[in-house]
Amino acid sequence: MQRPLSSGLCYNLRIPMQFHRLVKQLKKIVGKDGVLDHPEDLMLYEYDGGVDRGTPQAVCFPQTTEQVSQIARLATKENVPIVPRGAGTGLSGGAIARQGGIVIGFSRMNKILEIDIPSQRAVVQPGVVNLDLTHAVESRGYYFAPDPSSQKACTIGGNVAENSGGPHTLANGVTVNHVTGLEVVLPGGRIVEFGGKAAESCGYDMTGFFVGSEGTLGIATKITVRLTKLPEAVATLLAVFNTVDDAANSVVAITAASITPAALEMLDGWTLRAVEAATHAGYPLDSGAVLLIELEGLREAVDENADAVREICLRVGARGVRRAADEKERQLLWSGRKNAFGAVGRISPSYYVQDGVIPRTKIPQTLRKIGEIGRKYDLQIGNIFHAGDGNLHPLILFDTRDREQTKRTLAAGQEILEYCVSVGGSITGEHGVGMEKMAAMPVMFSEDDIDVMTRLRNVFNPAGTLNPQKLFPTTRSCRETYSPGHPSVGGPNATSEIHGAD
Amino acid sequence: MASGVATEQETTLHRELGRIVGESFVLGGTPERRKSERRKGKRKNQKERKTFADQLSDCAIDGVIPSAVVSPADEKEVAAILQFAGENDYNIVPQGAGTKQSIGATPQRVDILLRTHRMNEVLHYDAGDLTLSVEAGMTIAEVQGILAKNSQFLPLDPMLPERATIGGVLAANAHGPMRSGFGSVRDYCIGINFVTGDGKTAKGGGKVVKNVAGYDLMKLIIGSMGTLAVITSANFKVFPLPKQTRTFILDCSDLATAIAQRDRIIASPLAPMCLELVSPRAHEYLSAKSEVRDPDHYAPQQGMKRAEVYSLVVRAGGSDAVLNRYRKDLGEAVSRELAGAEEIKVWQRLSNFEDSIRTRHFNCMVVNAGVAPSGVRAAYEAAEQSALEHNLLSASIGRAATGSLTFAFVPLGVDPPNAMQFANVASSLRSRLPKGSAAVVVRCPLEAKERFDVWGSSANDMALMREVRAAMDPKNILNRGRFVV
Ligand SMILES: Cc1cc2nc3c(=O)[nH]c(=O)nc-3n(C[C@H](O)[C@H](O)[C@H](O)COP(=O)(O)OP(=O)(O)OC[C@H]3O[C@@H](n4cnc5c(N)ncnc54)[C@H](O)[C@@H]3O)c2cc1C
Repeated sequence: MQRPLSSGLCYNLRIPMQFHRLVKQLKKIVGKDGVLDHPEDLMLYEYDGGVDRGTPQAVCFPQTTEQVSQIARLATKENVPIVPRGAGTGLSGGAIARQGGIVIGFSRMNKILEIDIPSQRAVVQPGVVNLDLTHAVESRGYYFAPDPSSQKACTIGGNVAENSGGPHTLANGVTVNHVTGLEVVLPGGRIVEFGGKAAESCGYDMTGFFVGSEGTLGIATKITVRLTKLPEAVATLLAVFNTVDDAANSVVAITAASITPAALEMLDGWTLRAVEAATHAGYPLDSGAVLLIELEGLREAVDENADAVREICLRVGARGVRRAADEKERQLLWSGRKNAFGAVGRISPSYYVQDGVIPRTKIPQTLRKIGEIGRKYDLQIGNIFHAGDGNLHPLILFDTRDREQTKRTLAAGQEILEYCVSVGGSITGEHGVGMEKMAAMPVMFSEDDIDVMTRLRNVFNPAGTLNPQKLFPTTRSCRETYSPGHPSVGGPNATSEIHGAD
Repeated sequence: MASGVATEQETTLHRELGRIVGESFVLGGTPERRKSERRKGKRKNQKERKTFADQLSDCAIDGVIPSAVVSPADEKEVAAILQFAGENDYNIVPQGAGTKQSIGATPQRVDILLRTHRMNEVLHYDAGDLTLSVEAGMTIAEVQGILAKNSQFLPLDPMLPERATIGGVLAANAHGPMRSGFGSVRDYCIGINFVTGDGKTAKGGGKVVKNVAGYDLMKLIIGSMGTLAVITSANFKVFPLPKQTRTFILDCSDLATAIAQRDRIIASPLAPMCLELVSPRAHEYLSAKSEVRDPDHYAPQQGMKRAEVYSLVVRAGGSDAVLNRYRKDLGEAVSRELAGAEEIKVWQRLSNFEDSIRTRHFNCMVVNAGVAPSGVRAAYEAAEQSALEHNLLSASIGRAATGSLTFAFVPLGVDPPNAMQFANVASSLRSRLPKGSAAVVVRCPLEAKERFDVWGSSANDMALMREVRAAMDPKNILNRGRFVV
């Protein structure tokens, strides 16, 4: 019962006169300086953190919920697609105007509306940059826990849409665990409220359901988030291993020993050498893998757990474990992890980032399998990932100009995802399905599963004009027919801005 | 619909249900069926047949006796029952153990009570990954028993864990004191399998602890009170059991002092597992259960020793060093420290607070309120004031740091309460709670229920919720009329 998207969706946009009229109306809503429609301006909005492309006909920058509502009403009336966009750092093509239409940018809705320390809440507009919220509340002993590596650029609206995680979401939970209320504009322009500051509300958990819906259910215009107390103590350890297997087994052992670090990140030998060359974080060049482990909380608990983690790593086969002596050394150790994508970008013209998840007990065998897949397709694959929750980020190196290699890259990517699902995992842990992984959805979900999701999408977004052709496989037999123009990749061009800021 | 009188339609109902699950798993039925049963088991005498009818009336929901009670063995049978019910416009009430069946408006009619107790297997348990999948009918206590073998647990401590099932707890989004330190079940349920109102078997999420593929159907179905789908199994992230725990009780002379202590704890680096605030009158319901002879007229006895204090009950887990840190930081404010069996008992009683109220007072009203953490003080005061105004007594407990509170209203010993008193106290409470709060009446006398909306206003858009409901249960057969109507 999947409702097909109307095929004439962008019909009027192809007629310049009608489109001209639309831009005029948009300008009436948000002001003359709030609309871009010159081709050279629009080019900047063709891509996100990947290089999937799609050109919108107009980009507009509302300042109020009411304006967003008017834009949505207009777009629905004219049957024109609308695509919300935060900072455009998404890695699955979520913010791309795949079918053209209007991109709604939130750079002018970037205010922190309220900070309520007694309730540990903040109310923000969607365009607030993730790290800016933390900066605003740090001095009062709080922070916003979800910390995607892109947090200097990405917006809270984007975090909500993708249900983003980060290195430190292992202990604290991902975005959905930190959102208690939303104001949402539906595609027809109706403004609705879900939840609020109270953790419990009456009715269905519409807030929780909305988070992670990748801009396909509505446009978040106001977000109530939970603030988290800054930890009293932090310990950062670097464990160095001769083999990937030893590092992977240490992750399994730490999890089994009932220790939940705040962060537990892994870099394999190839990746750490690439990173070390770029950032000099102090990762030994001859090692097979390193684990970056952070423990947070009460001083007593942090010290005990740091000792326990060190012991486990050494027992399982670590060559050495170093604890950062001070904040400077801690930052240095993290700089390698945080700048890793950029470091890889220096080596390869492009890379394809995967985001599969596996049970943590399956990490050793999965890394071996990824190695095999790399050899099978003759591709270099680096591994840098959130090991603590089994969220892999294999980086497949390739050159987009090489068509044949690009094809192999895609095939290798699909094979890795299928393997993740076959051992009980998921195709995406935090980057979202977007337009990149639509074809992989049926690997995880049955037709009936997808039918239920489609019915719900149709409640919110019945005409499919909001962020069309995302998340859902386009046809029933989509695996055969889906052929993306490009794989979602990151390269120095696509992401340099973020790495520069990191 | 009285169970004894079998109509033509009822005959079909029981026959069809029997065809799906096997006759022995259908309760209720036609005189013919009973006759054949009598023939089979010659010993089925008058008394036993009465038990059989009693069994049906024991399953009554707010006094409404179901026409049939069916116990499917698996997801397939659930789907078949729902399809059959949809085709024939039979109204279905899914049920675990029924410990929370008092929540929601009184149903007009219950055709089929669908019980999940036969679906009670562990489907998958990877202790090394700390993940677990169980069927909906397994009780919380059974789940905890299995996890305990690996020193793990689910931080899920709702009332009556020996009876309450995974499915029921998810559907009601029930919680207990551990909600404070570990979040609600929404935070650690990582996957869900269910059957929609039109009999589609589907799932959301998966078996891994991090996953954003597809819509988060767990969030939608948890707390949906059996109106969107019948939950058949669920997957969880489980937690390591703390090596040891201690409980610190801080008795405070008044509410203001208790709130100040709470604020001090929240602002400190301490991160307790539980942080409960107990009102003076609530202590009575947390003490050993006294013999209750006449729950219609039970009232706190004159002269009974009653703690006149607000108590903060703080539970911490960890090593000796960590516990010493709690002792040091909580300092002078601690009145008592509990360990071992005594400690466990306190937490069991806090979990079972609502049940303790219910067994002492047939005429009671229990409200689950959700307020912002800064509104907790105002909420406790609102409960006290509203009770006073309407000649009732209030006893309150709750997760003081998160604002998930339980208010009980019980009658004074002297005059029997009337229905309007309960309706009035609910509206008085709601008007006094800070803006944006929720106050759901989860239990109250039947006569009172008809006079007001047990749900109260919702912070969520009502029209949209109705549409969501229609998408998941297009024929409106699941718990019709009870929630989101
Ligand atoms: C170097 C790098 C590192 C990264 N690290 C991480 C990481 O550690 N963890 C992680 O989870 N992700 C990571 N990401 C991915 C990305 O940063 C996140 O997905 C982020 O949340 C996207 O935010 P954004 O503001 O850039 O959103 P965009 O990319 O602009 O949009 C993402 C999606 O959100 C929708 N959207 C945006 N605003 C709204 C709104 N107001 N209402 C409704 N829908 C909206 C868009 O339509 C789109 O579907 C990384 C990306 C890069 C480039």
